[in-house]
Parts: sequence; C-alpha cells; structure tokens
Amino acid sequence: MTTFIQTLIVGLRLGSMYALVALGYTMVYGIIRLLNFAHGDFIMVGGYAIIFSVPAVKAMGLPIWVAVFPAIIVCALVGMGTELVAYRPVRKNGTAMSALITAIAMSLFLENLAQAIPAIGPNPKVATQIFPSSGIKIGKVTLDSSTILTIIIGLAVMLGLYFFIQKTKIGRAMRCVSEDKEAATLMGINVNRTILITFGIGSGLAAVASLMYISAYPKVFTTLGVMLGLKAFVAAVLGGIGIIPGAMLGGIVIGLVESFTMSYISSSLSDAFVFLILIVVLLIKPAGLLGKNVGEKV
Amino acid sequence: MKKKVLSVLLAGIMAFAMAACGSSGSGSSASSDSSGSDSSSSSSGDTIVIGSITPNTGGFATAGLACVNGMDLAVEEINAAGGINGKQVEMKHMDDQMDSTECLNAFNSLVADGVSCIVGSLASSNTSAITDAANEEETVLITPASTADSITTEDDYVFRACYADSFQGAIAAAYAKQQGYTDVGVVYCAADTYSKGLYDSFKTACEKYGINIAAEESVATMDVQDYTNQFTSMVNAGVEFVYAPFYYDSVGPYVIPQARAAGYTGIIMGEDGYDGTQGYVAEGTDLSVYNNVLWTNHFDPSGTEGKVPAFTKAYQDKFGEDPISYAALGYDCIYMLKQAMEKAGSEEASAVRDALADTSEVYDCVTGKFSLDETGTPVKGAVIIEFYADGDKISTKLKDTVDELPDS
Repeated sequence: MTTFIQTLIVGLRLGSMYALVALGYTMVYGIIRLLNFAHGDFIMVGGYAIIFSVPAVKAMGLPIWVAVFPAIIVCALVGMGTELVAYRPVRKNGTAMSALITAIAMSLFLENLAQAIPAIGPNPKVATQIFPSSGIKIGKVTLDSSTILTIIIGLAVMLGLYFFIQKTKIGRAMRCVSEDKEAATLMGINVNRTILITFGIGSGLAAVASLMYISAYPKVFTTLGVMLGLKAFVAAVLGGIGIIPGAMLGGIVIGLVESFTMSYISSSLSDAFVFLILIVVLLIKPAGLLGKNVGEKV
Repeated sequence: MKKKVLSVLLAGIMAFAMAACGSSGSGSSASSDSSGSDSSSSSSGDTIVIGSITPNTGGFATAGLACVNGMDLAVEEINAAGGINGKQVEMKHMDDQMDSTECLNAFNSLVADGVSCIVGSLASSNTSAITDAANEEETVLITPASTADSITTEDDYVFRACYADSFQGAIAAAYAKQQGYTDVGVVYCAADTYSKGLYDSFKTACEKYGINIAAEESVATMDVQDYTNQFTSMVNAGVEFVYAPFYYDSVGPYVIPQARAAGYTGIIMGEDGYDGTQGYVAEGTDLSVYNNVLWTNHFDPSGTEGKVPAFTKAYQDKFGEDPISYAALGYDCIYMLKQAMEKAGSEEASAVRDALADTSEVYDCVTGKFSLDETGTPVKGAVIIEFYADGDKISTKLKDTVDELPDS
C-alpha cells in the first residue's frame, strides 16, 4: 500500500509538471495550429530567470516564489520575440512544414544561445529551495507541498485559460483566429496582435511551469526543456491537442503511467511505456482522449 | 490529407528527437585554450606538447576543469624544475563536452597537430570512443579517471591513473561485508557503461562475500530526475545499505534528498563520481539528509601521507579551492608521463609506451604509490569518504582506507 501511494504521488508530481507545460503547448497550437517545439526551452529560460532573480527577491525580503514574476515577464518577452522574429515572417511566406521546422530550429537556437551566454554557460545550476519541505503525511509517505501546489496551480491555470478564451474579448478574437484567419481579419480582428498575445500568455505560463519544476527538481541546465517538452507534447497530443482540459488530463495520465511503470513493471522502461501509450491511444482515438473526431476540411 | 498531416507530424517528432539527442553536443566546437602553442610537431625543438581531452563544458565540467587545473599545476612544477629531458612542457587542452563524438574530434585534432601523448578523457563512455584510435594512430593515451574495465587491454597504447571498476565496485561490497550488512540494495542505470559496470562488479563481489542483494532497481537514463520510486522499493525491501552508482550532478540535487524523502535512512554508498556533490546542493535543503553517505575515492585531500599534503597545499595556493580527485588524477597523469619519458629518454610515442608498459616501474603519486599491471591499470588502494553536514555546507571526512580486497 505504501508503494502504491508513493507511486501515485510521484506520478502526480511528474504529471502535474507535464500538464503545466502541455497547457502552453496546447494553447498555442489551438490558436495558430503551430507546434511550438521551442516551448520546452521557454521552461529553461524561465528556470534561469528565476535563478537570477532569487537573490534580488531575497534582498527585498519577499518570499522566494515571487521570483516567478520577473520570470513570467522574461518568458513572455522571449516568446513574443520568437513570434516576431521567427514565426511571423515564416508564416507569411512559408507552409505549415516550414513553420514546424522553424520551431525546431528555434528550440535548438535557444538551447545553444543559453550555453553561449557567460552568466548561464553550459554547466548546470542548482536552484534555491522554493517552498519549505513540508507536506501532508499519508501513512508512511509524504505528499509534499510543492506537488499539491503544482496540481492546484495547474487546475487554476486551466480554468483561467478556459474562461479567458471563452469569456473575454481577446479570447473571442483568439477563437476567431483559430477558426479562420482571413475571415477574422475581415471582421476587424488584428490577427497578428492576437497571435502575439497568445504567445505572450503561453510563454508566461512556461515561467509558472519552471517555478514548479525547480521546486521539485532543483537543477537547471540548458537542455532541461528537451525531454520535459517532448513529454508535455505527448501529453498534449494524448489529451487532444488544442483542447485545454485535454492537456491537463494528458499530463496527469503520462505522469502516472511513467511512475507506475517504474514501480510495478520495470524501472528502466518507463519512457518506453510513455511513448507506447501515445501510439496506442492515437491508434484507437486519433484525436486524443478528449478530442472530437472531425474530418479535416481540405 | 489526414495521412499527410500525420506523416508531417511524425517527421517532425523524429527530427525533434534527433535534434534533441544531438543538442547537447552541438554547442561551440571543441576549442583549444592552450596559450600561444603553434601547431607544429609535439616534440620538436625545446618544448614537449602534451595533449589533454576533458569535459570542460557541460554537466561534467566541474570534474573536467579540476583535472585541467591539476595538469596545469603539474606542468608548472615540472617546468620550474627544468622540464622533461631538458625540454619545457606545454599543454594543449581540448574540450570533449562530455560527448563521445566531440571526444573523437578532439583526439583527431590533437593527432593532426602532431601530439604524441594525450591525457584523457574522464568519463569511460567518452574514453572508450578514442581507445581504438589511439592504438591505430600509435598515440599514448593515459586516462585520469575512466574506470570501466574495458578501457585498457594488454599490448596497447592506453593506460590509466585510476583503479578499474571491478575493483571499485568490489570495495563497496567489501565495506558492506566488513560492517556486517547481509542484505543490501542497488539503484543504478542499466543503460550507462559506468553505472552498469559498477553494478556488475558490486554484484560479483557480493556473491563472493555471501551478501544478498535483496532489492535492485534501475533508472531509464542518467538524466532521470526522479528516484523516489526506486528508493521506496529499497525501504520496502528493508535494506539499510544501498549502492547507487551515479554522478554528482544527479546525486546532489536528486538522488540523496529524494531517497531521504522516500523514507530511506540507511547508508547510501557511491563511487568516485560522487566527488563534486558538495557544489550541487539546493540552497535551503536540510543538509542532514547528506549524512550517512559514503563513497569510494582515489585519495583523501586532507590526508597526511605521501605526496598528498604538498599537492593539496600547492593546489589551494594556486586555485583557492580544495582539490577534488580529478585534479589529483590529472596531476598524476602528467607525472607518470614525465617518469616514462625520462626513463625512455625520448618523447616518441612508441618509446613512452614501452616505458609505461614496464610493470616493474613504481610511480610515487598523489593518489598512491603504485605500479601498472599488464593492462596498464594501477595496482593501488582506495579510500572511503563520508559526507557530513557541516554548518551551512557539506564536508567530507576519511572513513576508511582499503589497500587490497579481502579474500572472503
């Protein structure tokens, strides 16, 4: 029983992290149908932004997690910069394929750029502990506070995003853009500005995800976003890419699968199972767990 | 249409995965930071150029840079004392970024520059990428810290300054035996040469000493960030001694704190890869979790015997920090080369190789006084070091010295 609870907790810890990252993926995809592979690297950017703002935050006598706010600003700026410099020109002239390749290039560019910046460099950095190591004891195991917080924040972000997209004016504009860019332009929506805002919000979320990531796993390195981003992408696809609750569900499922494989099947096969699950789900339900199977309009 | 989208998607995923695999190695290309060395032949004129390949960037840079420091210190001392065979020594440092391909590139570039003796690399997985090339090119390769058994064989150009894993893993088992543990656990990475090699030798030695491995768990890669489930399984098996061969960059932030959080309170035993853990502790962590962590090492920096005190002092004076074992091993490699070159009376690779292959030659080094066996591996002892919480930092102390393995 202890093993089960512990495994569940580890699964939730990993899963809530994937979910937070997947929310950013799915949001951008939902609006502009672009798989933003650089999203994982925004997490890395956020991680470093937090590490560098912690001393300032401490000096001001504020709790350490406040460092997430400068990180949100940095990430949003990097995200919007990426859109302005790379994605927008490509989208104007290229195809969906060239946009995808640009996203991959952007991901590698960010990783290597980070390595080249002297203050970051290629060596991993260890973060300060963000939340005190306390938690709820269940039997012999502890559900630590950072896991609980990650799940709560994940849910809050999910709900917030949902209402933002459904109820606000910008949200409505986003939905219009996602349905038909040309028609949205005719309706007087500034498409480019809407997409820019989407990137700003999506990347800002990445900073929140990095806060939760380093509170559980306090090591930041330039390729941090690679595996995390890949798994979050799998989570987003699993839940139904473009669907906000789907990202949350997909993330938790991936985390649980990974953890339970580790404990009960084979600890060295956990990654293999994660990707196996993806293939199986896509075979049975190509649109993802929460996706509706609608025919592609050609 | 749907097929098209899917194929594009799959191609994208594949490209992404491949790119991701290559990303850690695709940074700035290997650079030489030796000062003002020309690219002419190594032993012409009045200088001897010794090449080095270490991971100076990337996750293992702490070790690589310490090794470079150790080598530079040795060269400085040698040059001040008149050099080798009357010639001044110059180092040509290369960076392998902890990547096998970069390691081979660095090697080829050194050979192209006419370097005949190379020190490197640290990680066994990288060094194993250049051992064949060293034999083909007839270049002397002496590795400071690659402990995998397969690195050196008889009649080759490859030597090392460290003991081999078959010895290192066995020390851990011998220590468990000596302390009276009959049931032990292992957490390792089955996909990594180093971790798996240590696991194998630990397991073999456990069988020899009649110790039961009650639980063993593996992780998928050395980059895994969660070890909680593995240690929960150790707790459930009721073991009080766990052998966990990982590197310091995951031991510090992940393995030890998570093991304690999972309720494991017993001994965590590691290997020389634990050296450097002190710098990878999250600020604000309760440092008492690092108590009860032991690891086998090449030398104890606070030791008082042999060349250790002089080396530690010289290193502290020059670099302002305590030497870790990679620094001592790098330092030893240079002195071993010096001794071999002086014995051979030449810096030609084949002559140096023959001198190093002489198993009767005794090297008096920081990491012990030893001779090399037929394969080119030192016959020497190890020390067992313990971490302990020391105010706001983690310190190390000598727990035990093992000169040779007990028979049963």
